[in-house]
Amino acid sequence: MIEVRGLAKSFGDVQALSGVDFAVGEGEIFGFLGPNGAGKTTTISIIAGLLGADSGTVRVNGMDIAKDGTRVRQILGVVPQDIALYEELTARENLHFWGGLYGLAGKKLRGETDRVLEIVGLSDRADDPVREYSGGMKRRLNLSAGLIHGPKVILLDEPTLGIDPQARLNILDIIRNGVSGGMTAVYTTHYLEEAEKLCSRIAIIDHGKILAQGTLAELVMLAGEGSVVTVTGAFSSAQVSPLLKGITVEHFGDGSLRMMIPGRSELSGALGRLFSAGIPIEDVSIREPSLEGVFMKLTGRELRD
Amino acid sequence: MRKIFLIVRKDMKRRLRSPVSVICMLLIPLGLTLIVGLVFGRHGEVELSHIKVLLADNDGGMAANFFKQGMKQGKLAELIDVVEVDSAEGLSLMNRGKASALIEIPKGFTSSVLDGKSTQIDLVKNPRESFLPMIVEEITGTMTVMIGGAVRVFHEPIQETRSMLAADRWPTPDELAGLLASAGPRIALVKDYVADTLITLTSRTDEAPAEKPAGTFNFFAYIMPGSILIGLLFISEITMRDILREREAGTLDRIFAGPVRSAHVIAGKVLSAFAITLASCLLLILIGRIAFSIEWGPPLELFALVVGSILMCVGIMAFLFGFIKSERGADAMLPVVIIVICIFGGAMFPYEVMGPAMQKAARFSPAFWVIDGLKLVSIEKAGWGGIWRHLAIVYGIGAITCAAGAARLRVRLTGQK
Ligand SMILES: Nc1ncnc2c1ncn2[C@@H]1O[C@H](COP(=O)(O)OP(=O)(O)OP(=O)(O)O)[C@@H](O)[C@H]1O
Ligand SMILES: [Mg+2]
Repeated sequence: MIEVRGLAKSFGDVQALSGVDFAVGEGEIFGFLGPNGAGKTTTISIIAGLLGADSGTVRVNGMDIAKDGTRVRQILGVVPQDIALYEELTARENLHFWGGLYGLAGKKLRGETDRVLEIVGLSDRADDPVREYSGGMKRRLNLSAGLIHGPKVILLDEPTLGIDPQARLNILDIIRNGVSGGMTAVYTTHYLEEAEKLCSRIAIIDHGKILAQGTLAELVMLAGEGSVVTVTGAFSSAQVSPLLKGITVEHFGDGSLRMMIPGRSELSGALGRLFSAGIPIEDVSIREPSLEGVFMKLTGRELRD
Repeated sequence: MRKIFLIVRKDMKRRLRSPVSVICMLLIPLGLTLIVGLVFGRHGEVELSHIKVLLADNDGGMAANFFKQGMKQGKLAELIDVVEVDSAEGLSLMNRGKASALIEIPKGFTSSVLDGKSTQIDLVKNPRESFLPMIVEEITGTMTVMIGGAVRVFHEPIQETRSMLAADRWPTPDELAGLLASAGPRIALVKDYVADTLITLTSRTDEAPAEKPAGTFNFFAYIMPGSILIGLLFISEITMRDILREREAGTLDRIFAGPVRSAHVIAGKVLSAFAITLASCLLLILIGRIAFSIEWGPPLELFALVVGSILMCVGIMAFLFGFIKSERGADAMLPVVIIVICIFGGAMFPYEVMGPAMQKAARFSPAFWVIDGLKLVSIEKAGWGGIWRHLAIVYGIGAITCAAGAARLRVRLTGQK
């Protein structure tokens, strides 16, 4: 559905994107994960036709955006990172305007407006001016303005920025439902757990380059990330160290031990050796491989908001 | 076409919801008309100092005296000339339009006031003047409230000294003025508690004489066209400035993310600036008619000239905003540009009071042709034949600036890609 090849863009001295490639299949939610300044918004803006790339191509639904810009934009929905709404107008008037630009009119426009207002839970405040909305309500309206014309592809640039966890879950649900209705989504975020929960495939981007992409499992494999196992008990490091040959130990101290174990069989092997040697173990905790670890491996830093 | 219409409708709605900036800009030309009119005015009602007020005192008592002295006091004395007349003489002078207003104090006014009975003061306003009689009405109204209040507040001392006053000893004018001045602030406090005023002020405007006396003219008609042009430039400035605002707010990008061409956006923006400026202009003309009694002349010619002028203003602004990158840039540059256009075109100081060299230079300013055209239509009642040159020049400049502005904006808006 979306095919991005060799995208590069610089702003003066800043190389915002250098050689970005990815493809998104129909009905997929593609996560775009990266820290501040990674190049997420720049990528989205180029796909939406708001920025021209220095080099590279973007095809949406088989159409080249450089040639068929207007037709591509007709099937594209964009939810910008910075809320872009008319504060003086009501939610309904905003949606009528944005929907109208895409050619909706009359009954259909009114119907779609009601539908998206319902989806984002703003029906009862629809006729209040947007300037009286809370930040979270504006976010939701911002999202609904990207959905009003029923786009085939939606580009979401951090749509959950700065809203409470409850509303965030709600937004994730909205996107999931849209996609189950046949929409394709590119979802930009720097919340790891959102990408984990929502996206079928994820690209990790930093400094304008995609470091890795794939499903969560593929990424975990790729980064060589394993389960993190923490063991506590009345033991000394001298007692256990001979039993842990070939295992990455992250932290070692008397009474506590944290190790990284790549797979299930290695895990049961290691724990088995500890138990059979009669080491007094009080507690074992296992943390499954996560995007966070992958991210740290790939970028060498933590992802924080 | 529909997309352009949607953009215009949206912008109009937004303006209606937050009209403050446009209203402020409307006040500029109105204030300017008033001030310049008063500074340069030498004719008729334009001299604000010494508003001529006739006063017919049918009472002759203490309260009436009190009232009269108040009117002649301090600042008021600079503002109004009170001429005492008798009732009949006053009415006949008013009928000949010789004063801005006639105040009539009825017989028995003093005793009613002192007894705390209601009474009234009549104010007859000159129908040919607009705001001078209003000033007099305002002053008289204040006086009545003060006297009424004073009677309430000082009821007892008044009663005590009444016999003395009635006997022979009148307070001197100075004493009265002093009392009036010191009572002022106290009365202001009391005013709200005095629910029913003792003295009611009834004012009326007697039927205007059928014909205006020959040789009078409305000085404001010379001032307001220039002020209107200044207003139009400022209003088209703030409406075109919306392009910067929308870019800042991200809504412009959002529009461009839809299936919209830059031509739609530019046409929409220029048209909404045009529509808002036109509406403001019609409002100014209406206010000029009502507040400054300006007869605007043949309506079709006037309308044609106004439309052309607004095209010109909006075109100039579109062109300039094709270069300006930020609101700060606009703040720094545009007022200067507008003032220069206006000064050369004779919008600040009327063309008639410019020196001959300036008068020559004025003809090269687009503003001149708007202002001169408006004056021809309103003062000389010129028809198409009289203003065709003005129309041609104004529409010509309007077409050129709009085209250049649209081209320049297009470069700006697509240049970012
Ligand atoms: N208009 C611009 N002019 C100059 N530099 C820009 C512009 N837009 C983006 N950049 C630069 O390009 C780089 C990528 O920015 P981008 O906005 O794409 O990051 P992002 O991944 O969206 O970050 P965030 O999570 O903060 O939104 C940054 O270094 C930024 O400074
Ligand atoms: Mg961003």
